[in-house]
Amino acid sequence: MSKPIIETKDLTKIYGDIRAVDHLNLTVDEGEIFGLLGPNGAGKTTTIILLMGLSMPTAGTAIVVGHDIIRGSKEVRRSVGLLPEAAGYYEDLTAEKNLEYIGQLNDLPKIECEKRVSELLEEVGLTDWSKVKVEKFSRGMKQRLGIAQALIKRPKLVIFDEPTIGLDPAGTKEIRDMILKLNREQGLTVMMSSHLLHEIQLTCTSVGILNKGKMIVEDTIENLAKLFSEHQGMNIEFKLHNATPELYKEIEGIDGVTLVNQQNGVLNVGMKRDVTIEVSKVITKYGAEILLMKPREYSLEDIFMKYYEDGVR
Amino acid sequence: MAGSMTVFRKEMADQFGSKRFLILLGIIGLLSIMSAYQGVEYLKNNPQRGFLAIFTGQEFGFSFIQLMVFFGPIIGLALGFDAINKERTSGTLSTVLSQPIFRDSVLNGKFLAGTVAVTTLTISTIGLMIGLAIPMLGFGPTIDGAFSIISLTLLTILYLAFWLSLGTLFSVLTKKTSTSMLASVGTWLTCVIVISILASLIANAMVPLPSFQGTFTQGNRTQGGGFNPQISPEYRALTEQRFTIQSTISKVSPTNLYSEAASAILGVAQSRAGFGIINTNPTRTLTLSQGLAASWANIAAIAVGLVICFVASYIKFLRSEIRPGG
Repeated sequence: MSKPIIETKDLTKIYGDIRAVDHLNLTVDEGEIFGLLGPNGAGKTTTIILLMGLSMPTAGTAIVVGHDIIRGSKEVRRSVGLLPEAAGYYEDLTAEKNLEYIGQLNDLPKIECEKRVSELLEEVGLTDWSKVKVEKFSRGMKQRLGIAQALIKRPKLVIFDEPTIGLDPAGTKEIRDMILKLNREQGLTVMMSSHLLHEIQLTCTSVGILNKGKMIVEDTIENLAKLFSEHQGMNIEFKLHNATPELYKEIEGIDGVTLVNQQNGVLNVGMKRDVTIEVSKVITKYGAEILLMKPREYSLEDIFMKYYEDGVR
Repeated sequence: MAGSMTVFRKEMADQFGSKRFLILLGIIGLLSIMSAYQGVEYLKNNPQRGFLAIFTGQEFGFSFIQLMVFFGPIIGLALGFDAINKERTSGTLSTVLSQPIFRDSVLNGKFLAGTVAVTTLTISTIGLMIGLAIPMLGFGPTIDGAFSIISLTLLTILYLAFWLSLGTLFSVLTKKTSTSMLASVGTWLTCVIVISILASLIANAMVPLPSFQGTFTQGNRTQGGGFNPQISPEYRALTEQRFTIQSTISKVSPTNLYSEAASAILGVAQSRAGFGIINTNPTRTLTLSQGLAASWANIAAIAVGLVICFVASYIKFLRSEIRPGG
């Protein structure tokens, strides 16, 4: 059985009139890659800084790696690595010195610290750059250094706040592969926040959608997709050759079809239940050929937008 | 505590390797050479004064004490004004504070490193001055004089540490380094110039001087038939009253607290109270214990100011929210 590594209990943070985090209850199990998803200003970063003890909650609390975030904040920071959003480095120090400083702050003995630093620089592919000042680094390199910095304490849990923001596709993929590798090879639990839905879909095993400080939904990605398509019925895309307007009319007439629309040469048929066979029979009856037929999958974006709209309502 | 020491070690390396520190060291070095030279010139012209006069004597311009009054705030504030907010804006603060340390370690480590830096500056300045003055004069301080110099060194370190703590407070209170720099410059000008001007204005409003005719009593005719004006006792009383008001108001400024205390330690009873007022009788001398007794309140006030700034920084920093990027 998996056991929870993060468990928030009615976690609340109020700034003036704004409830940045509002009675948030979320659970992240050990070994997961948990995606914290939400539009800008939903409370993702606030949640993360509350968990790290960088800000005090107005009400409620959370247990992270077995410690209370208010009373055991220092112990939480001992076993949780953080890559903050827009992480900063001492630009006038080398990559190696930056990491060594963080290692020392974690009370690593000198020799172990040096070993760990070169190990991590190897792991994130910065060995050749270890003696170069960080001011010369590209964004992608800084982000990789940030990952090394989060890992130096050998954490049980790492939190990445918007890890791929501002990176090019290659850099994004590097970071993504690194996160997946850490999770797979070292069994590290990862919590990452993002507003890039695609990113979360490719990386995470489960996801929590946050809006206006509230958790709207928390589930595995497959469950969410299933839930959503059941709710919306089926949707199948056809690519046809020699289609005629009469054909579309006839399809609309089929019992069970809820929606027919055609754009860019693709016919999109929404149905209450599976009537794919009936639809294809009609198509062949009109002498048209089916070039392509596939069920339309709901991307996380659809799910996200739906929940987001629900949240707004 | 381990966290404090780690921060301290890093900050020490930063401070002593920084261009800022080297620039300050250069300025201070240059100025102390100049003030040593002046002090020596003064001593040559006033041979009745002891070795300590190299710190107070002003032949053409600033004495050591006046240099510290003027540049001390800059040194302390420059070393402290961006201690916290620079790390806040560059995003390193959230990284550092997400390590297993208490927040006060960061303040402690930084303040300690800053204090070591001002101590280094003070000792090198005073050391440089003594090192230059002894060969030029051909004699050194007496034993009592040496104790006075040690007291002066400690007082100067305390004074600079006060400015350092004020700078640190500004860096905690403001988000941007440009704001805290502006606050520092404003404070510096206020303490060094504005308060003195204000003190003169207030004194002038409270005790207006009579018009010029009443200023002098009828002069006695002298042999040459010349006119020898004498200052009337009433006028003297008025100027003394004004002086008291001015120096009381000036005490608001730590720079004046320092110059009074430093003068007393060096055996000179109040050579200057702010700009423009030069005591007519700077040769009154005090022993070190008399000087310390006379300036005790001033020293305590500077120390209290330091503690207040430090505690205020503490409280504000411990409660503050550490958001990435400010």
